[in-house]
Amino acid sequence: MADLRINLAGIKSPNPFWLASAPPTNSGYQVQRAFEAGWGGAVWKTLGDPILNVTSRFAAIGFNGQRVAGFNNIELITDRPLDVNLKEIYETKKKFPNHAIIASLMVEPKQEKWHEIVKRVEDVGVDGLELNFGCPHGMAERGMGSASGQVPALVERQTYWAKEVAKTPVIVKLTPNITDITATAEAACNGGADAISMINTINSLMGVDLDSWNTIPHVAGKGAHGGYCGPAVKPIALNMVAECARHPHINVPISGIGGISNWRDAVEFMLMGATGVQVCTAAMHHGFRIVEDMIDGLNNYLDSKGIAAVSDIIGKSVPKYSDWGNLDLNHNIVAKINPDVCINCNKCHIACEDTSHQCIDMLTDVNGKSYLKVREEDCVGCNLCSIVCPVDGAIDMIEAPRELAPMTWNDRQTALSVAVECKADVAK
Amino acid sequence: MSDYQQFLDERDKIDFLIQKGCQIYGVREHLNGASVDFLHPNGNVTETLLIGTANGRKYFSSLLISQNQPKN
Repeated sequence: MADLRINLAGIKSPNPFWLASAPPTNSGYQVQRAFEAGWGGAVWKTLGDPILNVTSRFAAIGFNGQRVAGFNNIELITDRPLDVNLKEIYETKKKFPNHAIIASLMVEPKQEKWHEIVKRVEDVGVDGLELNFGCPHGMAERGMGSASGQVPALVERQTYWAKEVAKTPVIVKLTPNITDITATAEAACNGGADAISMINTINSLMGVDLDSWNTIPHVAGKGAHGGYCGPAVKPIALNMVAECARHPHINVPISGIGGISNWRDAVEFMLMGATGVQVCTAAMHHGFRIVEDMIDGLNNYLDSKGIAAVSDIIGKSVPKYSDWGNLDLNHNIVAKINPDVCINCNKCHIACEDTSHQCIDMLTDVNGKSYLKVREEDCVGCNLCSIVCPVDGAIDMIEAPRELAPMTWNDRQTALSVAVECKADVAK
Repeated sequence: MSDYQQFLDERDKIDFLIQKGCQIYGVREHLNGASVDFLHPNGNVTETLLIGTANGRKYFSSLLISQNQPKN
């Protein structure tokens, strides 16, 4: 059994699996049940001036038989009085002293507002604070959430205000609804953040009903954009975590969020620099007990790799993530079709012929049997055939023998600039 | 001609000049690829090749990097 404990900027929890600030962490009843199920921490549903919600708040899209591939909500922050939430936080912390309870906070961008809520929340014994600069709907129209989180100066200033009075670690939760998340992450660091978390939800409209022409969801015939999350957003979130993890000016721990549905997703986020992960949609889809499989899977993975502590994998893939200009242009892979496994469905041929580089031939052998063959010299190693192939093992992407030394685009441009300079010298 | 055949053709022409002792001394990149100027070290003879294929452009670039590296 590996050591699954994590320490994120001083916030300790028995495992890296936290529930994200969202409907699953709305009350003490829920968070206590989550801890009993095995969750290591919970970020309490965002506290602030209690709001009013609409009905018809959630929507989801399925894909190819998988329900909830993507999830959208227009629910706002807590609608319960602060004192009620604080009482339940106190009771929950008393009952589960070794679990992490982080309070998510959202107030107007005013110094006195941040001072007030930070002090009141810390008085009941939370382990840390998460500043919600991410929610894209509703609260953003009032200048909070992602409206604050899209302006680096506001992120920095509000983080600074929170830090002026905070005694516990401050995590800044970032919105993905911005061109470059490292700009706001750096602003959070400049404001004194102890950690950052990402991503909050992505602006979305889930659909339009073809009969009624109403939006999905709609509230009495009207809709508004919501926040998109779930498995479909994982690649976007993973990139944002990785970009922050490799950024030279962002040197605080990261709590990874975005489509994490199982232990494998969690490991990917941690390899890309997250100290721990937060989960919401998967818990909303399958219930709190999914954490049992997450813990078992993570333990088995670490044991199989001979890794004693989960903290040992944090950031191990970050050095492997770089800019396109640093990739080797002379590295070659080619597709190889295994005729023993191939079912001759021709999907690879169609994909290659119609939309890629026309290098898979449909042939007939001497016995009249059809088979597919890659002309390796014309294959550009795009992976499309293996992506569309419905049979595991029918197409392998194999490394071709290296003919030229490694050369990146940046190497090439440097060499070309030298050549131009040389020519100028010769001309003189 | 397939891209691969065109690349082989371009590579042969590059190799022919390199084997004659020519060196790459200028590259102009443009919308049709790259025009690569070769200079024979013993004279003022120059030759220019238009390299259109992606693999051809990788190839001469690799040779250029190799050419720029200090010789022991």
